[in-house]
Order: sequence, then C-alpha cells, then structure tokens
Amino acid sequence: MAQHKVNYTQDGGLPVALTSIDKIVNWGRSNSLWALTYGLACCGIEMMASGASRFDFDRFGTIFRASPRQADVMIVAGTLTKKHSEFIKRLYDQMTEPRWVISMGSCANTGGMFNTYATVQGCDRIIPVDLYLPGCAPRPETLQYGVMLLQKKIRANKASKAQKAKRLM
Amino acid sequence: MAQVKNRLTPFFENITFDREDNELVLNFGPQHPSAHGQLRLMLHLQQEQIVKAHPDVGYLHRGMEKMAENMIYNEFMPTTDRMDYIASSSNNYGFALAVERLIGLEVPRRAKVIRMMLLEINRLMSHLFWLATTALDIGAMTIFLYAFREREYLMDIIEGYCGARLTHAAIRIGGVPLDIQDDFLHQLRVFLNKLPQNIKDYEDLLDSNRIWRMRMEGVGTISTEMALSWGCTGPMLRASGVAWDLRKEEPYELYDEVEFNVPYSDVGDNFARYRIYMEEMRESAKILYQTIEMYEKCVKNGETELMAHAPKYISAPKIDIMTQNYSLMQHFVLVTQGMRPPVGEVYVATESPKGELGYYINSQGGPYPYRLKLRAPSFWHTGILTDLLPGHYIPDVVSIIGTTNIVFGEVDR
Amino acid sequence: MRAYTPKDNVQAKAYYTDRYYVSPQVSKEEVSTDAVFESDLAAISAKFEVKESYLQKGQMVVYINANDIYGVLELMRDELEYTQLSEMSAIDWLAKDDTFEIFYQMLSMSKRKRIRVKYFIKNGEAVDSVEKLFRSADWSEREMYDMFGIEANNHPFMKRILMPYDWQGHPLLKTYPLEGDEFAAWYEVDKIYGKEARDIIGPELRDTSRVDRYDSERFALLGHEVPKGTKITDEKIPTEQSYQEDGGVFMVSKFDKKTSKIIDDPQR
Repeated sequence: MAQHKVNYTQDGGLPVALTSIDKIVNWGRSNSLWALTYGLACCGIEMMASGASRFDFDRFGTIFRASPRQADVMIVAGTLTKKHSEFIKRLYDQMTEPRWVISMGSCANTGGMFNTYATVQGCDRIIPVDLYLPGCAPRPETLQYGVMLLQKKIRANKASKAQKAKRLM
Repeated sequence: MAQVKNRLTPFFENITFDREDNELVLNFGPQHPSAHGQLRLMLHLQQEQIVKAHPDVGYLHRGMEKMAENMIYNEFMPTTDRMDYIASSSNNYGFALAVERLIGLEVPRRAKVIRMMLLEINRLMSHLFWLATTALDIGAMTIFLYAFREREYLMDIIEGYCGARLTHAAIRIGGVPLDIQDDFLHQLRVFLNKLPQNIKDYEDLLDSNRIWRMRMEGVGTISTEMALSWGCTGPMLRASGVAWDLRKEEPYELYDEVEFNVPYSDVGDNFARYRIYMEEMRESAKILYQTIEMYEKCVKNGETELMAHAPKYISAPKIDIMTQNYSLMQHFVLVTQGMRPPVGEVYVATESPKGELGYYINSQGGPYPYRLKLRAPSFWHTGILTDLLPGHYIPDVVSIIGTTNIVFGEVDR
Repeated sequence: MRAYTPKDNVQAKAYYTDRYYVSPQVSKEEVSTDAVFESDLAAISAKFEVKESYLQKGQMVVYINANDIYGVLELMRDELEYTQLSEMSAIDWLAKDDTFEIFYQMLSMSKRKRIRVKYFIKNGEAVDSVEKLFRSADWSEREMYDMFGIEANNHPFMKRILMPYDWQGHPLLKTYPLEGDEFAAWYEVDKIYGKEARDIIGPELRDTSRVDRYDSERFALLGHEVPKGTKITDEKIPTEQSYQEDGGVFMVSKFDKKTSKIIDDPQR
C-alpha cells in the first residue's frame, strides 16, 4: 500500500450518528452496488467466477456494468501497469459519486509479486481505495466477503450530499 | 486538502473534426467487457466496415523476462503461472520441461502420468473458459453459466490436489511435488462421465442456432498462408488446414502412448475454430480416461517416485530433508543459491491450450538464466488482427477476438 | 567509501561463486549426424557464409553474417520448407564485448525440424527487417526494439509495443535495473498528477521485507476488521465472525451459522 499523507477517517474514527434518512439511503446504496467490470489479469477471472453460477453475485444486488457512469464500485482486479495507470484514473474520474473502490488481490494492493519497472506498486498510488483484499488470486468467497464488508462500511457512514469526497490530493 | 486538478485533460482522440473522408476512428479501449483483458484496438471505420485495425498491447506488461534474469529457476515457477492464467499448469509444465531438457533430466513415470493428467485438465478448463467468454460476448449468456459450472468442478479437483484454484504452480522442475489425493480419480471419473452429455448440451444450444451460425460462419477466415506467416499455432492453425499438433509431432511426456485424434479443418473461419475447440474437449476426455488407467497401473507396479533423482539440481523428497542431514544441507544450498544448469541454450515448445508455448532459455552456468524468452501464442494471435479485421463489421470484431482465444497475461508477459 | 559495483550488469548476481567450479556445457553434436540438417546446412552455405553450425538438443544452430539474414530466411522459407518463424529476439552481451546476439527460431512442419539462426551485431547497428517474409516478425521486431533498442530497417511501424509510447529506456538491457530507474519510478505520478505530487504520493515501496512496527493492529484477526485509523482500546473481541451488523439489515436475511446448511458434496 502507498504511504501518502491522506487522512482517511471521518470524524476520527468514532461511530457516526446517523439519521433515518441516512439509514434508508445507505440501505439502498449498499444493497445495490453496481460493479464496474475491471478485470485486468488473473484476479479478473476469479471475479468472473464469483459472478458466475456457483458464487452468484446477483444475490448482493450487484450487477456488472461496463460503463463507469453507471457503476458504483470499481473492483480493481489484477495488475495495474504504468501504461494502464492513466486509464484507471480516467475511469475513476468518470464514475459518479458516491463511488467506492475495492482493490482485489496482491497486485492491486501493492504490486504483488511483480516488483518490476512496469508495475504500479499498488493501485492506491493513483486512486483512493476503500477496501483491500489479500490473496493471489483471492477466492470468490473472499471477494464476496469483501463486498459485504464494504456494505457494512457504507451503512456506517453518513449519506448526505455534502459527503467529504475522498480525494488522493 | 484542496482539490488539485490532474493533468489528464479530456481529449477527443476518436473524433477528428477536420477530415475530408468519412472515416471514424473508434477506440476499443483497454477496459472493455469483450476485450478479454486489456486490448486496445484502434479501428478506422468507413460507416460500419473496418478499413484499418491497429491493436495496441502492453497494458499488462509486467516484465516477466527481466524477472527471470533475477530469480533462480525454481523461484520463477509461480511467475510462469501468471502468463496464461486460465490454464496455469501448462505454463509451469513448459518451463519445467525446458529446464529439464537443458539439464538432461529424466522424470519418473508416475510424475509424468500426473503431469499429463494436470495438463489435460487444464486444457479442459481453458476450453470451457473460452466457450463461456465467447458465448457471453456474442450474447449467449446461458452457456457462460453452464461452462463456469463445469469449470468449478475441475477447479475443485485441482484445488484438492495443489491447494489453488487458478494459479497452480503444481509442477516442479524434475517432477511433481505432490501425489494425487485419494478421491481425485473418483471425482475425475464422475466428471468425465458427465462431460459428453454436457458438451452435447452446449452443442445443441449453439450448433444449429441461426444467430450463432450467422455470426460465426464465414467470419474471420484465416488462410493457410496468413496463419503460417503470422506464426499462428494451435487451434488457429488447425482451423486453417494445417494438422499440426505438438503432442503428436514432437511428443513429450507420455503423449505417444495415448491414443487421441487431432481435429482440424480447412475452412478457417470462426465456426471452424469453435468446432475444433468442442472436439478437442472430447479428445481431452479420451486422454484423461487413458491416463487414469496408466496411473492405476503405475500404482500397481509400485512406482512411487515423484521427483527425478539428480542431487545436483533437484532437492530430495521432503521426508528425507526432514530426517537426513545431507539432504537438508543440499536442499538449503539449492534454495538459497539455486541450481546451476550447464552452459548452453534450449528452445522447448509444448502444446498449450492456446497454441505453441515455447521457452527459450540461454544459461551461462549461473543460478539465474542469462536470457529467458517466453514464446506466447496469443502474442501473434493478437497481431494477426491487424490483417484479419479489415473488411469485417464491428460486431464481427467481438466474435473474432472471442475465437482467437487471446489471454493478455501471455501477450504482454 | 562503498565498494565499487560495476554498472554494466545490474541484474542479481549469485552471492557465492565457487572459485574452482567449471560449468558443464550442454552437449553439441556435429551437423553430419543428421541427414536432413546436413542437407539444409549445405543449401545455406552454398549461397551464404556460415560461421559456425552445430546440433544442440535436436535443433540445429547456424551462425551467419548480419547482412545476410534476409537472404537466408528467404532461402529457408522458399526452398528448405521452413515455413514458420516461431520467435525472434536478442540477447544482451554489451558487458562482454559490446554486441547483441539476435536469434531466429525457425520451424519446418513438413520435416519436423527446428533451426535457430543467429548472428551478432555491434551496439548501435540496426538489423534488416524480415517482416516481408514472415508477418510475425512485425511484432517481434517491435518488441525487440522496445526491449533492447535495436531498430529494424524497412519496418512499417517501428514503435514501442509493450511499454508506453513516451517511455525512456530499454528495459531488457542488462544496465537497466529490474525495479526501474528514476524515470520509471515516477512515471505514473508525473503523467497523471504532475511533478508536484511526488511529495504527496510518496515513493514506491519496493522493499519486500519491510515490516512496519505499528502494522500489527488486528493484522491476523480476520473477520474483525475495523476502518483504518480507528483507535482500538482493550475492548472485547467478538467471538463470532459477523457478516452483517448486529441488528441485521432490513429485508436482508442475516447470516446465521447454525441455521445455514453446508453443502460438502463436490458433485452436488
């Protein structure tokens, strides 16, 4: 993971007081997370497998959408190379708020086993990440557990439009 | 923190405003659901027909060849997994075979049988994945779910064997480290008994489907000269009339002891490739039945060796390492310093599910290879799109990319 | 003063080399032991100069002059039935004698034979492109240029293929470090955010054995994850792994291990 001077926690980590509007909106958002198909490498195959018949993704309300404008969560699955880094930033910018990022697998977390010249050492050098999933490749159950954790995180935060947007800089 | 604008300004690469001709440049970008990975195709279109196609690869280039120059041979084995990540054991096997040929090792028979089983299971996995994604791209989403269900059975079997579903590293230089587990054969038999019916189900859904045939027949015809000139191998070449299968022509492992056919066609279009993949699945099932018998004969003959006996290059079995002092010392040296093969070079090609997967190793006697070149079949199968796509329409692009079976871990390495 | 490390080969080196160890060589045989290869070699050496030739592991290796490559491959394709160029690339010998060794792996399907054609070029020279003979050389030569900096004459599109188009440096040279030089380290930051962001984003963490002494908070407690930055006092760790919050979520049935059925049969 990158070590940059970004303050991630809202309110210093204390539990946030939520109104019922927040709760309803969060409930809706968390149970219909539409994912952007962002399978880059081997983890993309596991992502596809987790959307297929055995580990169904549809039961979370998650549908894979190809267009970033229609997606809520971007699951970065696979190695991010320097040639591709420009495009992930473009796609992230095109996603409409509220948006979240799950970094799936070692290569997306930290560059993985590819400690080379052409690999970005972690996709969080480019975009802010909400959830890191370890594994190489993480099992589909891990990805689904990660989605459930993200749902919990969404439900724990405020939902207002004045949400302090996550920006890397 | 204040919002700082980034330097990526919006630019309109695909719309040029002052062109006299009617050509549109369409960017089939690196993130696309049907791009099978990170393929960037820049298509020049005249209305809907393509006049020029320029594939741009390199979005998954991770520097594997350079990594090989800095890692010992055994350490590089899991990296080869990530090349063709759909059928990982075939990449592992190609590398192991290349190093074994460089050293001059002879692998014990039981290990050869297990390796063949793994290779054919990987071939089935790869062909099922190909069927699933091609059908998904063309729109037949049912096949995607069914083929992934079959694939899950196979991945369960392999997970029971080596612990990993996708990136196996199950084959070592000198043999295999693990013997197959108790219910491997039973699960494999149950799967193989169901497989012909499943393949027949997919063919019933697709073969006489009007939409499928219209999208596949006559589309993406590769002539024999183009296939040979572009270095196509595997099903791409066999669909264009050349019956060349490395398992038959340059047999490695125990492929000369099993009986199987090599399907080929002389039409060269998408439909021919589709039929070849389906037939190859049946042939793989045939080979697997025979390898099950061979394995049981090995067990009956009492051959228990799984790794070759070459103390200079291969470590002893684990039980010896844990109990004998010299085995432990030798294993320590081999792991920390690495084995030193003889000085020389070797090029070994095997028949991976995608085509001819070749490893060129130039060794100067050190523990790290001096030069390792990975010959990945999908690299040239992506290059052939330059010559193949002009003349087709945009929907054909999707079906052609589907049937060429490109995996970007291989193309970019 | 630090010890002098030569910079002409910055790849990993074996830290122990046995002073008296002589590496064995992979055996080379005479070409005359194989009739097919002998006739092929005779056909090639009738028209071009063959510096050296031998058989190694069942494949013939032929060394020619750099200028003859187009002619040799044309001869092999048209008359000797070597119809496929399996691969071509270069080997970096700049540290030894400032040369590159280029090899072409040829395959004949009718004869079931493979030949490796090799030659040396000096640093800075360009090779002749064989793209007109074999289309696969189109991309192979682009990759060779990208990785080594060796250009090919008469190539239709001599541009980088695997690295980004504005990359500086040729990665597979021995002088190029595995982890990339200064340009590579900041490439994505400079491209997307500009040089000002280098301090904010920070350098790449390439030390694989780095252990952060404050990193052990909840590290091994899978199932009890908390958001980053929350202060963990000595509260009780819940014993049951909870997939949802305690109260459950409206209209979503809460996972309860006792009432759920585990399907263990792989054949289902």
